[in-house]
Amino acid sequence: MQGTVYRETHEDVWRTLERHEATVQDHFARIGVRAIVDPLEGYAFLKTIAPGPDEDPLPRLVKRRALTYPVSLLLLLLRKRLAEFEAAGGEGKLVLEREQILEMLRLFLADSTNETRVLQQVDQSISAVAKLGFLQELGRQRGGGAWEVRRILKAYVDAETMSDFAGKLGEYANGKETEGDGDDD
Amino acid sequence: MNIDDISALRDQHPAWRLLRATSAPLMLSFLGQHFVEQNEGATPASRLIDALDEHLYLIRGGDDGLYRRGPQAYLDDWADPERGWLRKFYPVDSDEVHYDATPAVEKAYRFVEDLQRRSFVGTESRLHTLIDLLRQIVHGSEADPETRIAELERRRAEIDAQIEAVREGRSELLDETSVRDRYQLFSATARELLSDFREVEENFRSLDRSARERIAGWDGSKGALLDELVVSRTDIAVSDQGRSFQAFYDFLLSGQRQAELAELVASVQKIPAVQVDRRLRFIHHDWADAAERTQQTVRNLSEQLRRFLEEQAWLENRRVLDLIRTVEQTAIRVRADPPTHLGVEIDEPGLAIALPFERPLYNPQPETRVDSLISPEDEETADAEALFAQRFVDAARLAENIRAIVPPQSTADLIDIVELYPVEEGIAEILGYLALRDEDLEIRLDDGDQASIDYTDADGRPRRATLPRVTVTRR
Repeated sequence: MQGTVYRETHEDVWRTLERHEATVQDHFARIGVRAIVDPLEGYAFLKTIAPGPDEDPLPRLVKRRALTYPVSLLLLLLRKRLAEFEAAGGEGKLVLEREQILEMLRLFLADSTNETRVLQQVDQSISAVAKLGFLQELGRQRGGGAWEVRRILKAYVDAETMSDFAGKLGEYANGKETEGDGDDD
Repeated sequence: MNIDDISALRDQHPAWRLLRATSAPLMLSFLGQHFVEQNEGATPASRLIDALDEHLYLIRGGDDGLYRRGPQAYLDDWADPERGWLRKFYPVDSDEVHYDATPAVEKAYRFVEDLQRRSFVGTESRLHTLIDLLRQIVHGSEADPETRIAELERRRAEIDAQIEAVREGRSELLDETSVRDRYQLFSATARELLSDFREVEENFRSLDRSARERIAGWDGSKGALLDELVVSRTDIAVSDQGRSFQAFYDFLLSGQRQAELAELVASVQKIPAVQVDRRLRFIHHDWADAAERTQQTVRNLSEQLRRFLEEQAWLENRRVLDLIRTVEQTAIRVRADPPTHLGVEIDEPGLAIALPFERPLYNPQPETRVDSLISPEDEETADAEALFAQRFVDAARLAENIRAIVPPQSTADLIDIVELYPVEEGIAEILGYLALRDEDLEIRLDDGDQASIDYTDADGRPRRATLPRVTVTRR
């Protein structure tokens, strides 16, 4: 299970995982990794365990990566759509068309006279998120590309991650404002 | 209903708006046919588009002026949430968008169908049904055993009288009119039942939605929330709708009932007075299909609701939405000058683990000893014959053979060539011919045909080689 395992697409691995979860956990615990298995949503992935206070930290196996600003925004917006979709009792998969994603993100991107640049930026962000496995392109429908927002996004972009980001962004914004005309508030 | 209610319905109810739409005839003829008459459930987009395409082709009948848009455009239009005639969604197990008719389509279709004048409207059977219903209500809710027994005895007396009448040969058969009357009622009710399922399903969906709304907007304590959750969880199943549907479903699932129903329908349709409605022949299968779909919806809904109710996910979702709101506001403030080195830090999905078992194991090779020293005793004369006995097929000679026989710009069979220049060096020579690479010669193999070449091998034994027919062309 090097990547994320889904019940739908990795049937064999999933079954094995269900049967031997305890053994698998023990195995990974030795190398400082925990298998997160979510039987409700049907996915499983590996996560580094934070070392205890009196433990020597093991080498980090799961790489942490800082994402660019637009990609981060996109992730957050997708996360929001997922929460809204669930709250509204949406059925099946949450699927967004490229146009919808574009509209969603455009509001937060600098107005540019160069429309193609904005489009390019959005497309790049989409493919970056797809590479992380949170968006999956669906078989080309008649009339344009559609992306499924995978639920595993919830496990990765959690409240903690987001509050970090919100804090940093707030600092940045405040810094900007005092830099300009500070008597704004 | 006062005039305001009615105006509101006219403006807002999808069924009424459907009837007022310009494309209503197209919509009703197509969607009615597909979803109502054929009792189809959610249908993948590609299938529906093909069906609509065909339908449009038949309607246009060569006149391109009619309904000019493409099937996809129509479906998109009808599925627009503003209109609410088709439900568009991605099921969990499919990557293709699916469409399903909404109850509005059923309603509008039924209304239009009712507008058609019926040549005969049975009223007697309805009266009987109504009285029967009244009886069920009154006696079914009677708690006093004395009264119930009295009623049951009365019914027994009635049945006894009927038995007596049959014995004496003076029982009355239903006349043709009565049969038609009843059949009509049966047929209408049976079809209505089918169309009701869609509405039942829709109602379940709205129950689910309201449960979620209540949960999402919850501000009370944790304990109260849990209470609420437990209530919501069972809401769907214990609603009037849920119970009635469950009872129906149980009834339908009983094999005995199914068989009885099928038998009854079949024998009714044998009665000559009845104008057979073919669609009713297997109506119970259609019921079962529709009920199964509804059942599936309920299952999905409660499964999803369960997920949604997972306490942690719920709290997390609320927190997440709050955080996103903050981020959104800030992001708009800094929109003109977005940060360049600021971003979410997340774990990279996936882990580069190489399992030890995935590596190939070390595979020890048998020891090889190289001994290049020729031992001195080996001085007896080596058999040099072997060296000279090696054969060498001279390609130039073979090419010459061909050139001697085949004039330029013509073709010959290899067999004819070896007949004049017999094979001297066995199979190697034949292969030599095939491998000729001279510029002016072209060797072609024809797999469709076989040829055999006789030759004698090195030991003087006659041999025969069988190979595809070979032709040689000189340019």
